[in-house]
Amino acid sequence: MLKYTIRRVLGMIPMLFLISIVVFSLAKLMPGDSLSGEIDPSNTDPQYISEMREKLGYNDPVHEQYFRWITNFVQGDFGKSTRYKIPASEIIAERLPNTIFLGMMSLLITYVFAFFMGSFAGRKPYTLGDNIISTFNYIGLALPSFIAGVFAIYIFAFNLGWFPSNGSVNISLEPGTLDYWLSRIHHVLLPAIVLGALSTASYTQFLRNDIIENTRKDYVRTARAKGTPESKIYNTHIMRNSIIPLVTFLGIDIGVLVGGAIITETIFTYPGIGQLFLNSVTQRDYPVLMAVTMLLSFLTLFGNLVADLLYGLVDPRIRLD
Amino acid sequence: MKKPLFWLSMLVLVLSAFLAACSGGGSSEPSNTEKEKENAAEENGPQDGGTLTYALDTEFKGLLNWNFYDMDGDDDIIELFDDPLIDYDENLQAQPNIASWETEDNKNYTFTFEKGVKWHNGEELTVNDWVFAIETIATLGGEHQRWSNVNTIEGVKDFNEGKADSISGLEVVDDYTLKIAFDKARVNNLENVWAYPLSRKEFEGIKPKDMAASEQVRTKPVGTGPFKVAKVVPGESVELVRNEEYWKGKPHLEKIIVKVIDSSLTTGELKNGTVDLAPFHPTVLPEVEALENVEVVKYPGLSYYYVGFKLGKFDGKKVVMDIEKYQNTKLRQAMLYAINREEWVDAFFSGLGKPLNRPIPTSHWIAADNADMPVQYEYDPEKAKALLDEAGYKDADGDGFREDPNGKEFVVNFSHYATGNPTFEARAKAFTQYWEEVGLKTKLQMTDVNLYYDQLEKDDPSLEVFYGGWGTGTDPDPLPLWGNDTVWNYPRWVNDDAQKLLEDAVDIEVVGTDTEKRKELYVEWQKIFNEEVPVLPILELEEVMAVNERVQGVEYDVSGQNSAHEWWIKQ
Repeated sequence: MLKYTIRRVLGMIPMLFLISIVVFSLAKLMPGDSLSGEIDPSNTDPQYISEMREKLGYNDPVHEQYFRWITNFVQGDFGKSTRYKIPASEIIAERLPNTIFLGMMSLLITYVFAFFMGSFAGRKPYTLGDNIISTFNYIGLALPSFIAGVFAIYIFAFNLGWFPSNGSVNISLEPGTLDYWLSRIHHVLLPAIVLGALSTASYTQFLRNDIIENTRKDYVRTARAKGTPESKIYNTHIMRNSIIPLVTFLGIDIGVLVGGAIITETIFTYPGIGQLFLNSVTQRDYPVLMAVTMLLSFLTLFGNLVADLLYGLVDPRIRLD
Repeated sequence: MKKPLFWLSMLVLVLSAFLAACSGGGSSEPSNTEKEKENAAEENGPQDGGTLTYALDTEFKGLLNWNFYDMDGDDDIIELFDDPLIDYDENLQAQPNIASWETEDNKNYTFTFEKGVKWHNGEELTVNDWVFAIETIATLGGEHQRWSNVNTIEGVKDFNEGKADSISGLEVVDDYTLKIAFDKARVNNLENVWAYPLSRKEFEGIKPKDMAASEQVRTKPVGTGPFKVAKVVPGESVELVRNEEYWKGKPHLEKIIVKVIDSSLTTGELKNGTVDLAPFHPTVLPEVEALENVEVVKYPGLSYYYVGFKLGKFDGKKVVMDIEKYQNTKLRQAMLYAINREEWVDAFFSGLGKPLNRPIPTSHWIAADNADMPVQYEYDPEKAKALLDEAGYKDADGDGFREDPNGKEFVVNFSHYATGNPTFEARAKAFTQYWEEVGLKTKLQMTDVNLYYDQLEKDDPSLEVFYGGWGTGTDPDPLPLWGNDTVWNYPRWVNDDAQKLLEDAVDIEVVGTDTEKRKELYVEWQKIFNEEVPVLPILELEEVMAVNERVQGVEYDVSGQNSAHEWWIKQ
């Protein structure tokens, strides 16, 4: 297993390298750069713009720009954001906690809801309850998050006033106090539900189908025949088998946790990595854009590795060598 | 059959729940007690206390210092906690604020500071802080976006190159008096010079190039303004508290919270009263006006939109007018007569704009009276057709569209930038319809906004007729936009008479310090522009701000908002 892990980690290096080439060239192929756009002439001097272009190396051939960037990157220098004027790593570190908090919350919601709804629906398939859950699932799968987000804000924030519609915290509260954390949870709940709705739906459906399938297995029939209580069959025997595939989703969720919230964060004006990423694309803030992309690619690869390792752990039939 | 029916009824139920939610939030007339309260407030004058929430629709970058900000968003916040040395009135004429000045020759200026103005850290503001700001920018030189605002001071270039230890043009007489000598006399030395101090004490020991990233700029900024920054949540919100020692008097408000909200949330937040002040896009004006607790304040803006023609190219130094297709003035004039600008403004800007016949917003003191313009471009398709006939653009092959004077097919290739805004394509389409109505075949091309400006700047041949806009600042000089050696002259229009007028108007030898004389020259220039129409002026934009009814004392004019220390909340 250790050998397998090392091999996989080493395999990531060329992969990340290739990703960096593709992303860098795509970023540079985008028309314009961080100094173009609708320019206010009274505030911007053409000489300043051309000097900055020269200084930032935008006039050099693309491959030279790439090698300059990658050399600094592997040495841990991600470059300085052209938009925020501070190192890209700092701006990412500033926003990352918000995104992780949102992601964790949405995962928690996903797991709790999916677990209860899935096991209920799996135990009592084709009943009214199962059908209601399925309806919810199909709505969850069919509604894109930007629609769900707008509706959620309209109903729960504007009309019912249960949640705030924007931001991550009430600024007047002292950081670290209980009120501060309650305010953060209050702010994150609505975007987390919207973000979690889609995966809740697919997890629920997955768990339900797996439970139904397992119910028809021989070992369940045997357990029933020897008089094991129905609740024990479901809670112990079936649940343990059905949960295995779900555990492995955790690995993939790591990547989603950080990168999956681009739209949701923008709609809820929630200052996280997703919003930062979108802004860095529209503003051509290459250092931030590249650093975020590399971070997301790494997390996705890493998540896949974790998923594979978890397979081996939870299911002894799978061996990794 | 049973089940589908069940689901259908479920669906209807859910939908009706939505509708109920949509129509919710009934209205109510202000009750008597509220009215009484209102009267009481008016009698007693401003009340102290209360928290005002100010919404921004673009994320702020966190460069919270006049000397380092460079994009929208940050300046809205800085304005609340830091005062400029020089202010501008509703005619955009410079007015003394902290600094007043005297000059005999427009070259040597003597500035005098108010006494007793204090930074939020308790230090008194002196002219040394201004010298420090200029030195900081001069050290960074061309890397700093304000370099052009200081490099007109004598000795700044030597200082930048390390040839001098101090700037020879700056002479500190005492803590409140500074003499500045510019390298030569200009009409706009005062408007151009960088008039924002930087606290020497706060930035002690920080290298100029590290300042923008320092916490003194990003999270713990100080200023001299009516409010102090208490807390900054990066990219999200800023909390400002009253500066008890503000030099113009104690502010009424206890606190101001500035927060960024997505523009789609503005109407809802305003309605719920969770936001007191908010800018918004003209297209949502009807929705905002319908809110009962919100007043819409309109004030003249400094930006205008136009339709331009590529008449040539920029060769790196000079504008060369060498593209034939749209050289005919009558063709350009006809295209303006063909547009119903009033209808267009109403449809796509909710009426928040006025058609104009010159490339200068009305509020600028150099703007010519519209009545003085030789050609009044009213919507007149018949006149447009007549002009086109005169110019030789006739329908030769009977297909309903005009050919060029040589009988070749003539297609107007019109480009407009595309962002996420869905109204852009519609408003561009409207232009093509106006032109097709007078027989000009038009093709519309929507281009991604970044590519668009790139093409515009580099004179890409795929761009022929284009939609654009300019926001002008307080300095009215049209030379940077319409001169014959500037890259911003997007239509690449050259007219020697016009160029001469613009150059004369900023030549101190010709106009001296006489603003009337300067204005006359600009009026002449606008007349030429009006006849030539290298770009078709479409509208000047009116700015709007939504203000909650409980907020009082907030005023806007063309130079922006009044000082926040005058704002108050009715309790």
